[in-house]
Amino acid sequence: MRMDKVRPWLTSLYPRLWRDRYAAEFDVLLEQCLQSPLDVVDVFLGAVDAHLQLLNGENLGWRMMNMLNKLRTTILMVFAAFIGFIVAGFSLVGLADDSPMIPLMKTNPALSAAWTTIQIGAFVALLAVVIGGLPLALTVVRRALAGDRHGRRLLLVPVFSFLALVLYLGFVFLVATGRIQIPGVVRVVQPGNFPPGNRLMLEGLMLVFILGAIASTMAVWKAISATDIEQETFYAVGRSLTVKIYKFAFVPAVITTLAMLVMLVATITWGWLSFSSLPQVFAGNFGPWGTSTQAWFFGILVLMVVCAMAALFGLRRGLPARTKQNLPNQ
Amino acid sequence: MDTSDFGRFSDPALLILASLAGGEKHGYAMMEDIEAMTGVHLGPGTLYGALSRLEQSGMIQALPADERRRPYQLTTRGTAFLRQYLASLKKFVYMGLMRLGA
Repeated sequence: MRMDKVRPWLTSLYPRLWRDRYAAEFDVLLEQCLQSPLDVVDVFLGAVDAHLQLLNGENLGWRMMNMLNKLRTTILMVFAAFIGFIVAGFSLVGLADDSPMIPLMKTNPALSAAWTTIQIGAFVALLAVVIGGLPLALTVVRRALAGDRHGRRLLLVPVFSFLALVLYLGFVFLVATGRIQIPGVVRVVQPGNFPPGNRLMLEGLMLVFILGAIASTMAVWKAISATDIEQETFYAVGRSLTVKIYKFAFVPAVITTLAMLVMLVATITWGWLSFSSLPQVFAGNFGPWGTSTQAWFFGILVLMVVCAMAALFGLRRGLPARTKQNLPNQ
Repeated sequence: MDTSDFGRFSDPALLILASLAGGEKHGYAMMEDIEAMTGVHLGPGTLYGALSRLEQSGMIQALPADERRRPYQLTTRGTAFLRQYLASLKKFVYMGLMRLGA
């Protein structure tokens, strides 16, 4: 009997709730010890027993742990969607910057209101992420410092990503101020003249930013996924405060999602008003590297829609879990 | 809580508790330890059937996963339960041996 072929099938015999909790570690165990047909029979009986436990209403623990997993996934999905929104937001600022839309906003109140709404939405979303994510971040950092080497390595990813961005920006600053001179790169770019050297520098900056955002999001996602703690006690000025970290983050996650939806609507409105007033700008090439304005704007919209939908999907998934009380501590 | 609460997993549950009394272990390490300690080979299905019940009853707790393997450790409750059970077993063994005149 080829055990490596039987293994996934054996694990799939267990109830979904059981698999959500134990499948990963159980699979590792089967890789190591599944050797004889007797072991296969043993696993089969274990699966039958797990189903019986569910039928008997036993093992509420799995259900609760499953709820915790769902709630954690919700928070992570909203966080990842927010990072995607930040990338889209910076792209939008890059598109509007130095374009005729900026002077137009000074004279068009509706356009200005749409832009202000985007800025307010961005501020509210950031504030909600910081407030909701603070206990979670402190817990993950505390766990990492307490000896979780893998967690420590993961948390270094955002730190190094940020350092890489700062170093790159410092390099751009030195070039822009003339302290470093590179052949083919001009200090000040004139409209209609974007030398290949400057284009390369800008591409590098975007690459560092986007790769850093993706790597940091993945690392933080992984670090949080490995944190099974449902609540954490914090001490400050002689007082202790116990926070159910995922439940605490749920309301800020809802606020972040709503802010993203508001920003999406405001961006569509801003784009529509800009297009109505300055169709020639949208038909032109005001995107980065002199690329099509329309293509960039629609790219930004698509990213925003995908992120907002992901956040909404995450909330829908986590809402039933949010209503469950007294998740077990692990 | 007594061992009958663990159904057909009563003995495996005790073996797991005894194994974890020697320190935190993941599934495969527990299987090897139990085999070395008692000569009993626990199948993977039996091991995880007992593990899930022990975890639910608060006797053991999962630690953060190390790569894909997840270690477990005894809780205070599990330690107290094992100590009490082994003490009663010791008394029983002593009485049995006394009656046999050993």
